[in-house]
Amino acid sequence: MTYQSNIKRFFDGFNIVIFTLILLFLYIPILILIIYSFNDSKIISGWSGFTFKYYKILWENENLKNAFLNSLLVASISTIISTTIGLITALGLENRYFKAKKFIQGIIFLPLVMPDILMGISIAMLFSFLRFPMGRMTVIIAHITFCVSYTIIVIQSRLKGFDHTLQEAAMDLGANKTKFFWKVKFPIILPGILAAALLAFTLSLDDFIITFFSTGRGFNTLPIYVESAIRRGSVTTINALSTIMILLTLFITIISKPIRKMII
Amino acid sequence: MERYTNNEITKIEKDNKSSLILTTPFLIWITFFFLIPYLIVIFYSVLTPGVYDIKFIFSLESWKAAFSSSYLDSITHSLVMSLLTTIITILIGFPVAYVIANSSKRKQNLFIVLIIIPFWTNFIIRIFSWKIFLSAQGLLNNALIYFGLIDEPLMLLRTNGAVLLVMVYVYLPYMILPIYSVLEKFNYSLLEASMDLGANEIRSFFKITLPLSMEGIFAGSILVFIPALGTYIIPQLVGHQSSAFIGQLITFKVKSIPRNWPLASALSFILLLLVAVILFTGYNYYKQGLRRK
Repeated sequence: MTYQSNIKRFFDGFNIVIFTLILLFLYIPILILIIYSFNDSKIISGWSGFTFKYYKILWENENLKNAFLNSLLVASISTIISTTIGLITALGLENRYFKAKKFIQGIIFLPLVMPDILMGISIAMLFSFLRFPMGRMTVIIAHITFCVSYTIIVIQSRLKGFDHTLQEAAMDLGANKTKFFWKVKFPIILPGILAAALLAFTLSLDDFIITFFSTGRGFNTLPIYVESAIRRGSVTTINALSTIMILLTLFITIISKPIRKMII
Repeated sequence: MERYTNNEITKIEKDNKSSLILTTPFLIWITFFFLIPYLIVIFYSVLTPGVYDIKFIFSLESWKAAFSSSYLDSITHSLVMSLLTTIITILIGFPVAYVIANSSKRKQNLFIVLIIIPFWTNFIIRIFSWKIFLSAQGLLNNALIYFGLIDEPLMLLRTNGAVLLVMVYVYLPYMILPIYSVLEKFNYSLLEASMDLGANEIRSFFKITLPLSMEGIFAGSILVFIPALGTYIIPQLVGHQSSAFIGQLITFKVKSIPRNWPLASALSFILLLLVAVILFTGYNYYKQGLRRK
């Protein structure tokens, strides 16, 4: 490194300080939340001893359990449908002679750059216009709508690296198109499909604002429940709930790595 | 690529019909649940509000109201706050992306995971954790009092500063990741060359590193600015009622009784136009940049 000098060293030091501060900035609020979830105090000031009571309160809360199950249901259904649509759309767009390709690629891009609130409002107005009762069904439809562009893009990026000479080889060996797809192509692009599904699932679980607009009275997902609990002021149990959700995320992150390795 | 020409497979590949069939479900879905809803938004904006619903009587009242000073102020406030968020995330995100990109490959992966993990925590919960941290009885105020820096708890929550802080917190990864992906591919021999030619580090940074990472900064800015412009829940949880974002006003018009769907529609349409203008200008600027390269 011939170009090392004091200024360079100063900048590197400065950058590392910023980097460390940013990591603290990213983690401190979450750590506080976890610690406070064990705090035996009604208000959030001070430490009044260790307790598990909020976890017990959570466990006995039927509304919360319902909201959690609703979230899982919505996320599962919208993941399956949006990944399926995403897969066949990505396959259709593989053909580079397809005349409408550029146009469709542009449309795929639109939901990605649209602020959530506009997507929520517009879909709420559609259902109001159609006099369609809002609830589980409308939430699932809205979730598929915002997930599908992501699934297409993820699967497309996997398809880009696909070696098309494999098709020639398979057909020379006597496979027909269907057999080639299921025996050769599908296994190769499967990691992309699973990545798309995982992304759709997390996006769906995380969404608040679009669900907020597309749901009706009585159908709560977990983020909707959390937001209304914050509004009602039942803050302490939210700490415990957040802790569980954070640990769940960590758990998924940790187990998804060996699974990913197994597939790839 | 060209090796299939005149081959049987080319005919199959060229089969536009099957491409059309495969993309039709998506096109139908997105037309019905994404494009048509925006037409309904435009249609609703010229109707008359009812208490719970909408009356199908033509009226331009909502457009007049949308251009009244209180709504224009709110739009300006959203624009200013989103712009500030974008600038701050660039200033913080760039050094972070730089450090990550300059680490060894193993460390790079670790750092990226470290940046992403908080990002996977539920959106509402991340905002809520700041509400706890900043509240009058929260840890920050208690710590400041404990160390004798202040006597009374500071009013940290329900300020524009709190909104800005949380927006930066929430949108920062969207800035770091695109800049990182550009810097990761950065060719450091360019820097050596520039220094061999007598430029110092600062000059080299502004003449080489920064221009070459503009693409990442640009992508990050779009990813931060546009969602920030439409944000509802962040100012709702940590901001002050008197300085509402446009997203909050739209939501109130739809969610609280008496409803005013036409006004919400008109405001949404203005927000949509803003987003379109930003994307269009950004895209043109980006294309120009590519041409200059």
